[in-house]
Amino acid sequence: MTVTSTAASPQVASREVSLELIGLSRRFGSVVALDGLTFSVPPGQVFGFLGPNGAGKTTAMRAIFGVVALEAGQVRWHGQPVTEQARRRFGYMPEERGLYPSMQILEQLEYLGRLHDMTAASARDAARRWIKRLGLAGRESAKLEALSHGNQQRVQLAAALMHDPELLVLDEPFAGLDPGGVDDMTEILAERARAGVTVLFSSHQLDLVEHICEAVAIIHRGRVVAQGAVADLERGDRPRLAVRVAGDQAGDWAARLDPGVASVEQVNSGLVILTLAPGADSQKVLDAARAAGAVEHFSFASRRLSEVFRDVTGEEA
Amino acid sequence: MSEPGGKHSVNRKWIRLTAIVADREIRQRGRSRAFAVSTIVLLLVVAAGVVIPAVLAHTAKPQRVGIVGGQTAAMTEIVREAGHLTGTGVTVVPQPSLAAGEAALRSGQLDVVLVNNSEVVVKQVSVADSSGSGGGLASAIADVAGLSRLVGQLPPGAADRGVTLPVRGLTPPSASLSRRLTGLFTVVLVWVLISAYGSQIAMGVGEEKQNRIVEVILASVRPIQLLVGKVTGIGVLALAQAALMVAVFLGLGAAVGSSLAHGAAPGIVIVGAVFLVLGYAFYCTAFAAAGSLVSRQSDVGSVILPVQVPLIVAYALSYTVIYANGANLFYKVLGFFPPTAPVAMPVLYAAGDVPAWQAAVSAVLVAAGTVWMARIAATIYGRSILRTGSRVRLRQVLARGEAA
Repeated sequence: MTVTSTAASPQVASREVSLELIGLSRRFGSVVALDGLTFSVPPGQVFGFLGPNGAGKTTAMRAIFGVVALEAGQVRWHGQPVTEQARRRFGYMPEERGLYPSMQILEQLEYLGRLHDMTAASARDAARRWIKRLGLAGRESAKLEALSHGNQQRVQLAAALMHDPELLVLDEPFAGLDPGGVDDMTEILAERARAGVTVLFSSHQLDLVEHICEAVAIIHRGRVVAQGAVADLERGDRPRLAVRVAGDQAGDWAARLDPGVASVEQVNSGLVILTLAPGADSQKVLDAARAAGAVEHFSFASRRLSEVFRDVTGEEA
Repeated sequence: MSEPGGKHSVNRKWIRLTAIVADREIRQRGRSRAFAVSTIVLLLVVAAGVVIPAVLAHTAKPQRVGIVGGQTAAMTEIVREAGHLTGTGVTVVPQPSLAAGEAALRSGQLDVVLVNNSEVVVKQVSVADSSGSGGGLASAIADVAGLSRLVGQLPPGAADRGVTLPVRGLTPPSASLSRRLTGLFTVVLVWVLISAYGSQIAMGVGEEKQNRIVEVILASVRPIQLLVGKVTGIGVLALAQAALMVAVFLGLGAAVGSSLAHGAAPGIVIVGAVFLVLGYAFYCTAFAAAGSLVSRQSDVGSVILPVQVPLIVAYALSYTVIYANGANLFYKVLGFFPPTAPVAMPVLYAAGDVPAWQAAVSAVLVAAGTVWMARIAATIYGRSILRTGSRVRLRQVLARGEAA
């Protein structure tokens, strides 16, 4: 099942596109990691990249940085194929975190900044700034291995942010973060997006994604199975209603509804969840409910992102 | 996004990024405790190697000198004077005939035989000995005896024949022991530095692969830049350490008057330096490629062993050349085979078994081999550095069309 709501969200479609993944394909032996993966990300947005384990998220992110070879497809940045020079303006937080354990964090960040075309002086300034911002002031000369796991994650984030990247690609940035770290990460991602940075991140924590992202792409077996604004995906193409009629614990009134209007999904102690038939008018349901008794509750019920995810992938996040 | 500035600026950027990688290696390793400790230990070994033989030489065991013909008292006086000049204790043993003296030389009962007014005989003359150096007692006796002949008799034509008596060896001449020991010093230096720094390269690559920073770095630089930067940085440290050791060797040698440093003719130092650099260049990329095959640093040891085998063979066999008279054909072949030449050729040259032009030919062969090795190693490294999981097999990496 494929859900595409791009057409239903003109504000996304009309926006300029910064990052495009076009027809990416890659196999590892008999395993298909990417199967013509195509989606695009607008600038100035926090974009979620979702999919079950093994769906190809990490391979796709690596492809953006050219650290995995593609059999077919192209990654484009502002309409041009990505060059080495463009990549040095990207920031990357790989799934498998990696820094030098025995190197001092200030030096380490400075080194990584210089590899992204910063001068030694500006790299040092940026390193100090990010160390402070991430609550690690005073630990500049500490070796990475001397820091707690959560703090090592913060240094890893700083490494991705050092050079003020135009594109931030973060693979599972929330994995292993404590609640304080999650808040910091959320704040920084939102702030970067407001500054016009394109932010793409993958996550299994759909509650977080729902909260942070404006739009998502859900992939499964190397292909996009759903994409669009989070609000649109949650509304879906067939709106759902939650209705309660006083005194009708079994929801008998709803069972008598014309299937051409709505069908019952579930009844929870009198609260009936209905899926509206395509093109049907929700007011007909309200009329039927009022005919059966006093309507105590009537609302549109949006689906959770996790339900959308389950529907399109057949798996739990 | 097009690269502005054309090829020139791209090259400069290429070098700049590579230099940043090299700079990190030098800073991080140069101030590590391991580097300081290894430098101190190596310098102490070098110092001991120079000073101890020199100290022992001053308390050398008395030399037994045979005399043939002439007046025993006068000849004993000549030998004593020569012993005094060279700081050597002497015991004079009159011989009934030259034949008896030569027999005693061969059996080791005598060290030198002075034949009245005609010559000085020793078991073996050193090929590289210029007058006055290395020969020690025998040449001193020749000098003193020659002088006394000149002063005492002034026979017609004495000036034509020169003052000093000829020194004759019973067996064919060979390179002096000090020259050979200098060769040994060179070989130990080449072997220790290539092995030690090669292991560091492989461990460093393994570390980057194990802790996955390689993915962060390769998002902004190419694998070849990371590879070249790493081996250049570590190479600078290796050469600095080598230069320090050679300086201490020559400086201390001159200070204590060691015959070991005396034997360090400029030729041996130059050949040693050239083959140290070439040997490092040949092996550094191979060690890096080996390190890139494993996913855990602890597995590095097993993959670098095959890389070291040619060095181990050449190093082990070098002792047979240093203490033998003339290298065998097999060892000479090793001197021209790029993987073994960095160790074998300095030995052959120091032992006087090959002339300078052959060392130059060997250097060209190693340089060509280095280019070949670097290409293969860069391919292996580039294809395996991002592969995790089980150890990467060479066959997989070199298979046609394979990529990360």
